[in-house]
Amino acid sequence: MDSEFSLVFFTAFVDLGCGLFIALAINEWYSFSETVKQRGAIATLVALALGGFSSVLHLGHPERIFGALGHPTSGIFIESSMIGITGICVIAYLYALQRNASKQTLKTITLVGAITAAILAFAVGDSYVMGARPAWDTLTLPFVYLASALLMGALAYAALLVEPNALMIQKMKRLVQALVVVQAIAIIAYLVALSSAPYSDASRSASSVLFGGFAMLFWVGIVIIGLVVPFGLVYSQSKNDGAVALSNAPFALGLMCAFVGAAVYRVIMFNLGTTVWQFF
Amino acid sequence: MKKTMVIDLDRCIGCYSCEMACKMENDVALGVYYNKVLTIGPMGTYPDIQQYQLPTICQQCYNPTCVDVCPTGASFKAADGTVMVDKELCIGCKYCMMACPYGARSYNAEQKVVEKCTLCAHLTAVGEKPACVKVCCSKCRFFGDIDDPNSEVAKVLKEAGAENIHSLPDRGNHPSVKYILHRKTAQWQDLPPKETWRTPHQSGKKEEKRHG
Ligand code: SF4
Ligand code: SF4
Repeated sequence: MDSEFSLVFFTAFVDLGCGLFIALAINEWYSFSETVKQRGAIATLVALALGGFSSVLHLGHPERIFGALGHPTSGIFIESSMIGITGICVIAYLYALQRNASKQTLKTITLVGAITAAILAFAVGDSYVMGARPAWDTLTLPFVYLASALLMGALAYAALLVEPNALMIQKMKRLVQALVVVQAIAIIAYLVALSSAPYSDASRSASSVLFGGFAMLFWVGIVIIGLVVPFGLVYSQSKNDGAVALSNAPFALGLMCAFVGAAVYRVIMFNLGTTVWQFF
Repeated sequence: MKKTMVIDLDRCIGCYSCEMACKMENDVALGVYYNKVLTIGPMGTYPDIQQYQLPTICQQCYNPTCVDVCPTGASFKAADGTVMVDKELCIGCKYCMMACPYGARSYNAEQKVVEKCTLCAHLTAVGEKPACVKVCCSKCRFFGDIDDPNSEVAKVLKEAGAENIHSLPDRGNHPSVKYILHRKTAQWQDLPPKETWRTPHQSGKKEEKRHG
């Protein structure tokens, strides 16, 4: 099918918001940074709102969306309700921060929000797992979505840290590098699943991704921009001490690259999503 | 009860009348189809060449995956077993289009909703047959209740024999439309044949994309 850019940005922004809130929950539980909390929560809301706005652009009749409330088993219902619950948790977190709520309250809110965020990050990919399109009929697909959420979330969190110390930068560097590796493993697993998918066809083959019509997008967009550059950017952090080493600008740049990689993966996924037969 | 269609491919001459009748009856937009006649083949090497025509429509599945994913209930299974779209409820999310293994649904850009073959519900409701059935000059299309042993579709299938009755690939959706094709006419193809000079547009095979 076509690239469906509104859905590409819907899932990429939602995954970014989910990943960031999961990072904020970990931050809350392990008390890493105080100053990142509020700006992180606002950034999460912005990402979720951008995702929600993109999804509305996809609909022919958004004014009828409340009709979806009556069918709780559909993927769209699960996605909408999880966005709603996660959004409420983020707003509650912001409110609790404003009111100087107890540590326990903040921990509880972020825990609930992080669980729904993790479900949502997975669910936006899981909605595409369907027999009709062999290239999507694998659980490795939502795991790529979840992995991209965690990577973007960690990068966004690190980019939002205020004057991080060397130890914090070092920790984030290791985390981001580990998450790049996790993302790479998830993508390799997806390609393996693609190569063994039933009803093999040139339009959705792993070789078309690696060497064919999608190769340019895959190697430049996903591998170089989405994985190698973020890994390299944070790697350079350890090379020198002093002001440059303590800057979190490389994380911000890495986030932009990881977002491009996530979006390109989704574009390729949509284009690989051909049906078993295509009548028309 | 399961109202559906049986299409006898031994008799189809590929005249495209059903395709045209459908477009006119249902006011289907340019470039959009509810019903399209594909050419399967030619396959094999000269002189053993074979080819047949495959009129394609929504397969009125027993377990329609398009209905399962619809968030609003706009896609539903009617009492007579047919799969329908209530355009008033449709939000145009195209999720059902993704979930159909055959690409049998299309997006109506003007109305911003999804649509597909209704087996001419507006005609069958007043006792008429679907437009494609009425117009078929080779009398190869049959409409009726496949669960009723006295219906025309059940009788035609019984006469054809189980070995000559075929369905499109099943991805858990269980298509109900049946195709009759005897081996002496051509070898049934479970998937669009890869070895043919037909363009993807003619044969129902998707082309490899050059870019994303
Ligand atoms: S052929 Fe496609 S549109 Fe028709 S009922 Fe089956 S899944 Fe739904
Ligand atoms: S496009 Fe309409 S009919 Fe199809 S799944 Fe969405 S709401 Fe249902």
